[in-house]
Order: sequence, then structure tokens, then C-alpha cells
Amino acid sequence: MPGYSPVNSKLLQVPVGPGQEVYSKRGAMLAYTGAVRFAPTTTAGAGIGGAVRQRMAGESTPLMHVTGQGSVMFGHHGLHVEVVDLQGDTLYVEADRLLVYDASLQSGTMFLGEQGGLSGVVRGQMTGQGLFTTTLTGHGSCALLSHGGVVQLPVQPGRAVYVDPQAYVAHRGQIQNKLHTALGLRDLIGRGSGEGFQLELTGQGVVYVQASERKL
Amino acid sequence: MGYPPQPPYGQPGYPQQPGHPQQGGYPQQGYPQQPGYPPQGGYPPQGGYPPPPGAPGGYGAPPPPPPAPVATFNAATLPDDDNVNPYAFSVNLNGQWFIQKGKMIAYYGQIKFEALSAGPLDALVAGHFHSPLYAQDWVVAQGQGKLLLGDRGFDLNSFDLEDGNLTIRANNLLAFDPRLTLKQSIIPGFLTLLGTGKFIASSNGPVHFVEPPLRVDPQSLLGWADLPSPCHHYDHSYMRGVLGMARGMFGIGGTSGEEHQFEFSGQGTVLMQSSEQVRESPAMLRELEAQVGMLGVGGLQRLNQVIGQRLSAEQGGGRSSGRSGLMDLLD
Repeated sequence: MPGYSPVNSKLLQVPVGPGQEVYSKRGAMLAYTGAVRFAPTTTAGAGIGGAVRQRMAGESTPLMHVTGQGSVMFGHHGLHVEVVDLQGDTLYVEADRLLVYDASLQSGTMFLGEQGGLSGVVRGQMTGQGLFTTTLTGHGSCALLSHGGVVQLPVQPGRAVYVDPQAYVAHRGQIQNKLHTALGLRDLIGRGSGEGFQLELTGQGVVYVQASERKL
Repeated sequence: MGYPPQPPYGQPGYPQQPGHPQQGGYPQQGYPQQPGYPPQGGYPPQGGYPPPPGAPGGYGAPPPPPPAPVATFNAATLPDDDNVNPYAFSVNLNGQWFIQKGKMIAYYGQIKFEALSAGPLDALVAGHFHSPLYAQDWVVAQGQGKLLLGDRGFDLNSFDLEDGNLTIRANNLLAFDPRLTLKQSIIPGFLTLLGTGKFIASSNGPVHFVEPPLRVDPQSLLGWADLPSPCHHYDHSYMRGVLGMARGMFGIGGTSGEEHQFEFSGQGTVLMQSSEQVRESPAMLRELEAQVGMLGVGGLQRLNQVIGQRLSAEQGGGRSSGRSGLMDLLD
């Protein structure tokens, strides 16, 4: 299928047609040609149950369903856009970082406690990621938003990657993450390095890290 | 002696000022140039980074090439009417230029900034600046020297118009050559440049040129050239049908936020940028304020309502995801 084509680092052109519909962040359309319709959606293909779960999880970001025939340009507040192609694997990402994704992808919500139990919950709280994260599974493309662009860091067994929680964008593959604290005496007296918490990612896969510590 | 206000901040040793030497005479040695700074090597880049515990080595990738050294410019080496880097532009001023207030970041030479209301500028303003609404936001820079412009870290570009007609978002127009004529566009918040000359404009990300037919989100529209003014396009097609009625009545699903675009048709070019947050534009505000007077009580109430809705949407939209899921569950 003709894929997403980045116009520049902040603009993305997405073809839309029968059989190629997409969901996108509301208000992220910049321009379009052709007969394209934008309808607000709360379920985003996940059904009512999915929508309720998303709402409960605080992972419901306003989305719209883009249909019709034409070509749409997306962008959001001048943030950098990164296209990720999924081939049957799963991407874990915060809902508000998703600019646009193929309707062919299954979206879901995952409780962080499923990954690491209580420490997963603590991690979600400490890093401001919340307790839930959004998952996308299947074959198709999606585009992530980041401040300052993203780099992909490979995670391999025996090669853990440590990421600032604010710079973490998404990950894919078989990855366990846990909160790594490096608090010392200096932090207690307010002379810390400001890098007290890191996400430690281990396993096999790729982590996407943005070049900035600004949340969206 | 024009600009440099004399007593140079009480520093006797500051070697400068006598008649403000032009160009090459600028005392380089006065500044502790590069040697004062630790050179690039002093900064511990690769290798200095401790490999994560448990990792056999660093990352597999070869170390990236060292960053290019930061260029140091002086009045003579600054580019003439060209970009210093993507975010700063150097104008070789010799005469007069119109500059939007707050976009000048530095200058060399003898340059004076005069409000448009200044008496001697009357003829220039009368001939080339036809927008009283924006007059407070603009000044005229006159003199000789290098003028550096910048705007919020946006990408800057210079454009040359040849007997052309280009309309651009007022906030994104930094400066223009007084050979051009500025007029207010029919579309609020936009300015039109007519004639032949150069102007400098900023954009969030590189400018993307598109040909009509096209519909553009008003926030991402940077401008358009050689085209008729756009018209509004409204799309509420999802409000049709049973589901649409339910939507309208109960407000479920909300709006798509994409009901309104500017529609372009005809021959020409549309300039787009990645969307930007709507910035307070004093001129736009004045324009709207001026029109409030035409409303009656009903209209004012309605406006109040619209502003309330818009305000809550803007503030709600800015809600960060940092809000924990637990909090969402609780409320």
C-alpha cells in the first residue's frame, strides 16, 4: 500500500482511499486535496468496550476517522513526525503521541501493572506516563509526534538502554522496562544531578527516544 | 554620532567607540575570542559516556563525526542578505527596511529604528505601508550595517517578489524591502505584499509549497502567492444521519476539529508550514475588538458563549498526558 510520505521533518502526507482509512489526532490535519471526510470518533475501531477502557485508562485522546479519497497532510504544533511501519508486531506508545495510524492496526490499552506488577504501577506514576499505555498491533503504518525528533536505540539482550522518562516516546518488541533510581545523598540535600530516575529497558527490540525532555 | 549611547557602561578598558569604526576595523582583539573557550575536544563526547552497566561495550554504531566548530562572525564576514543559519538571517542594510518589532536580534553598524509615525518617514509610510492596524507593530530601520533577524527559532527564508503579489501571515513576516508595498489582506491576520523586492518570513519547519485545488487548516496556512483570496469551507457531513443527529443532540463524539478550512482554487502557489499554536496577535485582537461594537446584546451574549467554549477547549487541549491514570480513574 502506498505509504506515508514525509514532506519534511514536521509534515506528513498520507494517501487516503477505499480500504486505506486512517485515524488521526483531532485537529492535526493541515491540508488536503480530494474528497476527504473527517468524522470525530470515540471508539477508534476498538468498539464500545475498548472506548470505555480507554476512557477509564486516561488514554483516550480525541481522534478522528479520516475517510474518502485523496491525500491529507498532517502535522501538529510544529512537532517532529516519525513514521513507524509495523509488520505484525506491537508498538507501545502514549496515546497523545500518536499523530495518525492506519485503521488496519488494532489499537488497545495496556495496564502497566501487567508489566512488572506493582513496580510497573510505581513507574507509571513516577514518570508521568500514567498507569496505562496504548498499543498498536498488526500490519500498517503510524506516525509519532516528538519534540526535537527521535532516535531509535536498539535494545538487545545484555545491552540495556537507559532513557530519561521525559525523553521516552515509544518502544516495540519484547521489552521489559523498569524504573531505575539513582538517587543519592546529594538528591536529598537538593544538589542532585536532576537525573534521579531513568527507565531501564531490557530485552529485544527498539526504543524511540526524543531529543528533548519536553512532554507534549 | 547616532546610536551607540556614549558612556560605554563605565568600562574604561572597553576598546571601541571612537567614531565607531566600520566593518574591518571592528576590534577583534577586544573580545577574548576562541582561545578563551575550551575547544571542542575539551568536551568529553564519545567514550566519556559511561556504557550502561552490563553492556559489553558502547553502542554498536561507529561514533558520529565531531560537530562542526561554531563559526564566529563579525561585521565583515556576516552574509549579505542571506541566512546565517536556518534560524537567523542577516540583512545588509544600506538605506531603509521595514522591520516587525521584536524580530531584530542583533546588529552591527549605525542603524536607527524609527516608529512609523516619525515625521521624516511620512512619505515612505504613505507610499508603502497601507495598514494603520499594523503600524504599531512595525518600525523602519535606517542606516548602514548588518541587521540580524530571528523569530522564535522558526526557519527563516527570504523571498524575492518580481512584480508579484503574495499574502502572508502577519506574525510570520519579519521584514521587507521598502520597494514593496504592504497592504492588509481581506483575510484577517494576513498581510499582502505587492511589487518587486525582497522580504523575510519565518515558518515553523521548512515551507512547503502546494498547488491548488487544496483545503488548508487556517493554523497551518503560511500564505499564498498569485492566487485569488481563499474562501471558507465548512464540512459537517458527519452530522448527517441518525448517528449525526444523536451527535448533534447529545454532543457525543464532539467535533472533529476539522470542520473549517480555507479553500484555494485557481493558479498559483500555497505556502504551508507545520501548524503552530495560535499566537496572540495584537493587530488581530484590535480588529476583532473594533467589530464588537457592531453587535447587539444577543450577539454579545452569543460571543461570550463562543469565547467560553473556545477557552475551555484550548485549556483542555493543553492538558498534559502527565496526569496520572489513577487520577482519571478517581474523577
